[in-house]
Amino acid sequence: MAGPRGTDGSLLASLPWTLAALVVSLVPHVPFLPVWITGAFLGCAAWRYLIEKRRRLLPSNGIRAGLALVCFLGVLFTYSSISGVGPGSALLAVMAALKLLETRKRRDQFVLLFLSIFLLMSSLLREQYLWSVPYMAAGVLVVMTAWLRMSAGEEQTARRSFATAGRLLMYAVPLAIAMWVFFPRLSAPFWAVPIDTSRAASGLGDSMSPGDISSLSLSGEVAFRVSFDGPVPAPGDRYWRGLVLTNFNGRTWSGPEPNISRTARGEIRPRGEAVRYEITLEPTHRQWVFALDMPTEWSLPRTFMGRQHQLARTTPIEQRVAYEVTSYTAYRTGVDLSPMYRSWYSRLPDGGNPESRELALSMRAAAGSDRAFVEAVIEMFNRDDFYYTLEPPPLGSDPVDRFLFDTRRGFCEHYASAFSVLMRAAGIPTRIVLGYQGGEINPLGGHLIVRQSDAHAWTEVWLDGTGWHRVDPTAAVAPERIESGAGDAAFEGIGETWGFTAPSRWAHQATMAWDALNAGWNGWILGYGPDTQNSFMQWLGMSDPTWRKMMLTLIVLVVGLVMLIGVVMTYRYRPPKKDEAALLYGKFVGKTGLEPRIGETAHAFGLRVCSTGAVPGTTVDAVTDAYLEARYGTGGDAARIRLRQAVAAMR
Amino acid sequence: MSSTPWPFPEIGSLASSLKRRAGRRVRAWARKRQGKDPATATLRSGRVYILPTGIGVTFGIMTFAMLLGSMNYNNNLSFVLTFILIGIGFVAMHQCQRNLVGLELTFAGADPVFAGRSLRFRIAVTNRSRSPRHGIRLYAPDTYSDIHDLQPGESRVFVLPVATGARGRLTVPRFGVRTMFPFELFRSWAWLHMDIAGLVFPAPAAEAPGPPPTTAAHGHRQHDARGEEDFAGLRKYHEGDSPRHVAWKAYARSGQILSKQFAGADTSSQWLDFDGIAGFDVEQRLSILTRWIVDADRRQEDYGLRMPGAEYEPAHGEAHRRRCLETLALFDGGAN
Repeated sequence: MAGPRGTDGSLLASLPWTLAALVVSLVPHVPFLPVWITGAFLGCAAWRYLIEKRRRLLPSNGIRAGLALVCFLGVLFTYSSISGVGPGSALLAVMAALKLLETRKRRDQFVLLFLSIFLLMSSLLREQYLWSVPYMAAGVLVVMTAWLRMSAGEEQTARRSFATAGRLLMYAVPLAIAMWVFFPRLSAPFWAVPIDTSRAASGLGDSMSPGDISSLSLSGEVAFRVSFDGPVPAPGDRYWRGLVLTNFNGRTWSGPEPNISRTARGEIRPRGEAVRYEITLEPTHRQWVFALDMPTEWSLPRTFMGRQHQLARTTPIEQRVAYEVTSYTAYRTGVDLSPMYRSWYSRLPDGGNPESRELALSMRAAAGSDRAFVEAVIEMFNRDDFYYTLEPPPLGSDPVDRFLFDTRRGFCEHYASAFSVLMRAAGIPTRIVLGYQGGEINPLGGHLIVRQSDAHAWTEVWLDGTGWHRVDPTAAVAPERIESGAGDAAFEGIGETWGFTAPSRWAHQATMAWDALNAGWNGWILGYGPDTQNSFMQWLGMSDPTWRKMMLTLIVLVVGLVMLIGVVMTYRYRPPKKDEAALLYGKFVGKTGLEPRIGETAHAFGLRVCSTGAVPGTTVDAVTDAYLEARYGTGGDAARIRLRQAVAAMR
Repeated sequence: MSSTPWPFPEIGSLASSLKRRAGRRVRAWARKRQGKDPATATLRSGRVYILPTGIGVTFGIMTFAMLLGSMNYNNNLSFVLTFILIGIGFVAMHQCQRNLVGLELTFAGADPVFAGRSLRFRIAVTNRSRSPRHGIRLYAPDTYSDIHDLQPGESRVFVLPVATGARGRLTVPRFGVRTMFPFELFRSWAWLHMDIAGLVFPAPAAEAPGPPPTTAAHGHRQHDARGEEDFAGLRKYHEGDSPRHVAWKAYARSGQILSKQFAGADTSSQWLDFDGIAGFDVEQRLSILTRWIVDADRRQEDYGLRMPGAEYEPAHGEAHRRRCLETLALFDGGAN
């Protein structure tokens, strides 16, 4: 058994490159992989390298089989699944590590390089940043170098292989660009895309429990970007509607599943000017589609408006999507609410929060009308010592009572929840809208950036005769939250976070430039889909682009480029330039009319030429001397000039 | 599962026979198309063929799968990766073919060997271009040369060892030159029909009857076969004289190569007669004669060879030995 497991150091020239290729392709996965997989991989790589270096034996079949079983069970245990990008890349990493331990021949490394290409590919499925493309190109370069090292002879240095790989990659890039631009894009996938469940969805959840969260993390991650056709609405009008919560169990608000409703869409009565804009939404892994309150038209396919005027797509948003929307910031909804819905929107759990109920009833009685009651509650939030903070104290049982009467500190969710409970206690139909509020204008790109930190919760109350009305209790407590955005309000008292000192201003501008670059990247490179491709083809002058025309253009371009590469290569392999001295001497030989014999020296040939008397002896001597000096001596250019003159002087 | 035998063994053999036949057809076609090559041939692009290797096919399947994946996920960056890999495939194909085009091959001979040894054909490959050629290898049926790189302007002799069986002239009607550079995705090759040939001597018999007695010219038996006891003088070196008879000291003095002559050298002679060996068939007799020649040559004795239709006077030296062995190698059975 020792034979097939022995190593002889023959892989030392290529193994480091193969390991480098694997490491480069694995690095983007590391943040998502469990630590033990990265550890196992690095351990196996180092182990394998030492085995080769010290000419040891590879581990036996039994050990390898045991390791394989342990790793496979480990992946299964960690992910409880083996499909999807997360477990898939984990399995690839484990396979690479185990394959390393049985790689004995040079050609076995092909499998490792194929694995590292798959790892590169799966990292692109996971994340697509601006730097992903240069990183991928670097990865491909390392893989290609390793590939060349595998079959390189002793005579080839690693530097040479690297240069060759770089050159071949340069040839391939124009081909790749041509194919990328003209390859027809499909609008719908062939089969269902497995969803990566390993990564927790960021952004808004499907429910809210204000008492349970004692600190809201402020993520600067972009939720979506908006480019408006006309002027950007005022900050106070920028309510980005998401999902609607209707059910309260005493602690947690939750909403109905998305459900198509044509009446909800039809009952909207727009007022004022339409706002047209395009949203580029980052993946949310949920169905909700965000739009400016209140949308009436949207271009995203398979998207509908639910009963509570919320937009949802039939499938979760797993990729960045762009869609056009028409909204009206001023509108009226329908004025009819069936008794069933009225009681559903006013329902509170039996018992709980007794003080709040009592307060609501007494305030309603004092106010006289629903509208006056709403204003009285807002007035109370504004007048009494309620504070807006992102780090509120936790609330125990009866969280609304605790909030209204004890802590009085909270963020939008606390105010929205408390307000809704007060309204419902007084019998007024109320619902909570989750979405985003505000957004920052990027002066470079001209678009609006809405971040996760702009997440917001507000309420809608039903007033008889006029329908649903948006009421934002947070605005009563922290108007600056609404007027200038969450980023500022978050830093209570410090206020001026951006633009106060020069360095932070520059930092801000750099952030904006980076964001503008990313927006362009998202729009043109990542978002290059059927529509973008179609308009780009028309811009190029292709009338009525069909996939046939694009495919034909692609083939013609590829054939042309491949031929061009052929020309370049022929040029690279052209014969070497002949020495000028040799050319001139050849001319001289031609003029003498004689043929030098095989092995005859220039001197001997000269003597023979002299003996025929066809050429004067002085000329022969001058040519021979200059030739020998130019070709073999140190005469250099001067001798070559003498030779040129001597030959030219001959008849 | 795996223990179940393949139920249609005929199909496997049928496929391999079809493949063999197709290969023969293709090679015959190539020979007809290219004709016989001169001793020096330069590879034009029209005669450099190319096909993907197993790794190349795997690579193709992988990129196709990646293309489907990219289309399905509609992921533009994985499209970029896929198209770069496809582009690399195209580039590799071109590079692989260009790696051979323009190479110059010259047959540089093959030293004769005894049957059973491998005949080493020397073929000089010259790179008359400004770029290096990588991973060049020569091959013939059942044999390969080493793999070498050729720097610009470099000329290198590749050795193609061909196994020998029977004596005679061994002709290799076709040999090839191939490369899998850069990524072993493609194999490009060219066939050369130079009809390179080498001579195969009969194998010396392992067990041979004793050689015929050595007779001295003066009528007495030679005791010392070396015949070097009586130095007779120097004469001009002739091709075939043994290097150990060269007068090196005289060479150092005069610069002229002279051979020492010994009086005893003329005295011993031995006739190796084909017809004198009884009880063996032709090939065995040739083997025995070979054995005797090899032994006599090793002992520096004079020997003459008498074959049906040919006779060589007793002599010694490399040229004589070669002449005799050649006669044995090409002996046509004395069927006249």
